[in-house]
This record gives sequence, structure tokens and C-alpha cells, in this order.
Amino acid sequence: MEKSDILNNLAQAVIDMDIARVSKAAAEAISSHIDPYEAITDGLAKGMDKVSELFEHEEYFVPEILLCADAMYAGIEMLKPHFPKEAAPNKKKAVIGVVKGDTHDIGKNLVKIMLDNAGFEMHDLGRNVPYAKFIDIAGGLNADLVCLSTLMTTTMDGMQVIIEDMKKAGIPSRIMIGGGPISPAFAKNIGADGYAKNAAEAVKVAKGLFQTIQVPLIFKTPEFVSVRKMKEGCNERC
Amino acid sequence: MNAADEMTPKERMLAMLQGKDTDRLLVSPLILNFASRSLNLPVRSFCTDGKNMGDANIACFKKYRHDIVYIFSTTSTVAEAMGTRMYFPEDDAPQVETPFLQSREDITKLKPVNPEKDGRIPVYLEAIKRCVDAIGDEVFIVPVIGAPFTTSAALRGTETFIKELYTDPELVHAVMKVTTQSVKNLVDAYVKAGGVPVAVEPVATGSMISENHFRAFVLPYLKEVYAHIHSHKLPGVLHICGKIKRVIACMAESGADILSVDAIDLEEAKELVGDKVCLMGNISPADGMLSGNPETITTMVKDCITKAADNPKGFILATGCEVPIKTPHENIIAFLEAGRKFARLPVGFN
Repeated sequence: MEKSDILNNLAQAVIDMDIARVSKAAAEAISSHIDPYEAITDGLAKGMDKVSELFEHEEYFVPEILLCADAMYAGIEMLKPHFPKEAAPNKKKAVIGVVKGDTHDIGKNLVKIMLDNAGFEMHDLGRNVPYAKFIDIAGGLNADLVCLSTLMTTTMDGMQVIIEDMKKAGIPSRIMIGGGPISPAFAKNIGADGYAKNAAEAVKVAKGLFQTIQVPLIFKTPEFVSVRKMKEGCNERC
Repeated sequence: MNAADEMTPKERMLAMLQGKDTDRLLVSPLILNFASRSLNLPVRSFCTDGKNMGDANIACFKKYRHDIVYIFSTTSTVAEAMGTRMYFPEDDAPQVETPFLQSREDITKLKPVNPEKDGRIPVYLEAIKRCVDAIGDEVFIVPVIGAPFTTSAALRGTETFIKELYTDPELVHAVMKVTTQSVKNLVDAYVKAGGVPVAVEPVATGSMISENHFRAFVLPYLKEVYAHIHSHKLPGVLHICGKIKRVIACMAESGADILSVDAIDLEEAKELVGDKVCLMGNISPADGMLSGNPETITTMVKDCITKAADNPKGFILATGCEVPIKTPHENIIAFLEAGRKFARLPVGFN
């Protein structure tokens, strides 16, 4: 089989939410000695980009994204052992979580998937996350971006507390917020750097925050370790 | 009675349902856990004690004279009564902690709700009865039930459940059948207690699932629920919050007579389904009620009424979703006063 066919199969199988076909295509990529990095960049990630587009155009919804992501991660798992060892990457680090008092985490998970695919190194703190934990982890990691999510009006004020505490602690991370009750005006009022209304937009907003600094896209850089790093921060689904 | 009103909320609602003239439109902020504020109760003690829940709603009604008194704490109450474990924050609505159906096999343990015994349903029943006794002559007492899809999601875990729309449709239908029976049992129990139950189906919102999935997995069961509510000679109300443009046509096919809507332009909703159903909505809870001020809320109310008061099947002025518990008192007053002021035109239901 041609290399381009295998890459297309990888992309299409992700779009079709088909783990079995992803696995088959990934096995073919490995046996045909296709660069595993290329198999991800021009195969799996390309499929996920299309998924993001379909979501934006309201052809795909939440179940579709979750299943496409499952398929993508299944492929990455297979390709991962075939990466050569390389130096640590220079990727933008992003901390993400649902603020204290709220356990609704689907929106947060979608944003994590999309940012992951877009080249951010994701550190997921989960849901119902105490304010101080965002500060500690963002400070400890020297995070470039902190993403705060909530679905509830009762917990949205917590975002302001986190932003103020981060400033007090001298942590320079950019902050992007989102979730059901959040509006651009609210985001501006509490001093957030960005607001995204959905997961597809989150990628654009997050990239925009670093526009003057080139965002290294993991799948487009040669530092293969980045993919392993990415998996560590993503313990829920992978 | 509010000085500006000529009918009680109950008379107004009945007149609207019967297609007769009313003194004004119904004005119904979705006061749910916010009612706890009228007795200065933390939400946890409000929603875990029938006396508290009832008395707070009675005090709240006496304070605001809103047109519908809802009995509600969370959309997961039915799932909780069927075995899902909840987390009860001190002063916020309960949330799902551990879904009951941890594995596919757990379906064999799933049973329809016994309203007399299971979960916090007895709390709701006591709250309904207290309200009916105290203020039932003046206003309808409306317990809010998590509809089958929302209840099923809370039983299985939402992410797992919506993935199974593709990977295990058989299981989805099996869970939906049991939850639909639970919802019907609750309807019967709440009606017996003197309430007029309504159903909410937020997990089936248009930003969550596609119209195709709505038609295949949500609509058939909603139809069953509304046929059951109609068998009690009561009107059906369906609330779905979030973005609903893509599913509003389906909502109107469910048999519900009144659709309570959130993030949709009311003019658009009127175009799409106004000849089939009464519309209810849709002041923003966050931007309006919580962080707005009396002036901006008045403008929003005026805008809603301008857009939807001439809806062919009627209109109820409401908030798009639950009134946040931290909503300032003056914002509630502004909403109600603006509603009473601008809604003084006779609008019939039929």
C-alpha cells in the first residue's frame, strides 16, 4: 500500500470514530516503516483537525468528538513505542481544570482534546479543583496558559479569585476561560486574557494569545518526546 | 396580591391554558434553589429536608408573588433515587458524584423508582404537600423532573452514555426504558401530592447531541412521558437549556404544550415552532439576573416581550434557566416589575 493511502486511512478512521481501522492502519504504518511522527502529523492529527471543523460546522457533536479522540489516542498509543528518543521539546504548557464547586467536565475535556491536538502540552487537574491547586501547579510548571472552566453561575466567581491570586503570586501565565454562563464581558471584567465559546474556538483563542511567539505544534515539530509528555498530562481517557 | 394584578397566579395560568383572557402574561423566573434565600438556608439543608424546601418556597412566593412555584434541586434527582451517588456542597445544588451503572451488567440491578421510599423523592413530596396546603389556592406547585435522557446520563455517566449512542445503542434503549418508567411513577406521585409536574431534558440540548440522535434516543421516550402527563389531564412543559435551535422542532413534536427555552432568539423560536407550542423564556441567568442591574434587566424583559408576546400559541416570560442563587434581590424585583408592566396584554393559549 502507498504511504499516502495509509496516512489517509489513519485520518479517515479517526473521522469515522473507528478504533479497529485506526489500529489496522497504524499497524500498516509501522510495518511499512513510515515515520511514526509523520503517521501522527499527516494521519491521525489531520483527521482530528477535520473533526474539529465538523464540530464547528455543527455536523459533529459531543459524542462524535469523544469517539474520534478515543480513536486518535488508540493510534498514538500504538505508534508511541516506535519513536526514537529525543531531547525535551519546547512546547507551550497548559494547565486546565474545572473550578471548585463544579463537577461538570465535558466541556473541559473537549477543550483539552482540541488543545492537545493543536500542540499544547496539557496538564489536566480534573474537576472540582481547589483554587490554590491552579496556582501551585501553574507556578510549579511555569505554565504558559491556564484554562478555567465552569458550567455553573455559582462557581464562576471563583475564576476571578484564581486570576487575582495568580497575579499576587507573580505567576505570568495567560488565562483563558469558558463554560456555559461565561460571556466575553465577564471574562474581560475579571481580567482573563481570553474567552472561548467552544472547544474549536478555544484553539484559535489559545494560539492567538501566543501569536507573537511562534507556538510549536507538537505534531509539526521533530521532538518526539513531546507526544509521551502529552500522554502523562492526560490520565483520564488514555 | 400584587397591587398591579387582577388575578391570582393560579387563575392566570388556568385562564391561559383554557384560552381565556388574562390580566397579563405569566411572569415566571425559574426560581429553584434560589428559594432557599427566602429563609436564609444553605442549599444543602434546603434540598435535603422537605419542611425546609416547602417552607422556603412558601416564603419566597409570599415575597415575590411569581406565577409558578417550582420544586427542584437538581436534574439528577431521579437518577439519585435509582442509585447514583450525589455530592452535596454546603451551599450549592447537588451534583453527580458516582454514577450507578458502573458496568454494562449493572443494568440488571436497575429498577424504576418507588417515589414513597427512594432517594430524596420523599423530600420533594413533603415540600409539594406543604406548598399545596399553604399557597396551593393561589399558585400552581410545579415539581421539576429530570426527563429520561438526562436521568439515564446521570445513571451511566454523561460521557460514557453519549458515546454509547454509537457503541451500545441497545444498552441506551434498555436504560431509557427503565428511566422512562421512573419518570412516569414520579409524575403519578407528584400529581397525587397536588403538584403539576414538568420535565427537563438538558443533556439532550443542541450543543450536546445531533438532531438524529435526539430523534432516535430522546423523542420516543419524551412522547411517552407527555402522553402520560396528558392522561392526568395536565399540560406538558418541556425545558431544555443551552443552544436548542437544532432540536427545537423535535421538542415541539414531543407532545409538550409549553417549551421553556434558553439560548435561542425568541423571534426565531416563534418562527420555527410558535404555531405548535407556547414559548417560555428567556432572560439570561448569568448576564441578566446575576450580573445585570435593574435597568439592563428591564431592557431584556422588554425585548423578550416585544419578540414573543404575539406568539400564536402563547408566551410566558421567564428566565432561560435557573435563577442563580446569588442573584441580587433587586434584580428579581426588576424582572417581576418589568414583566408586570410590559405584559399587560391579554394573550390566550389557544
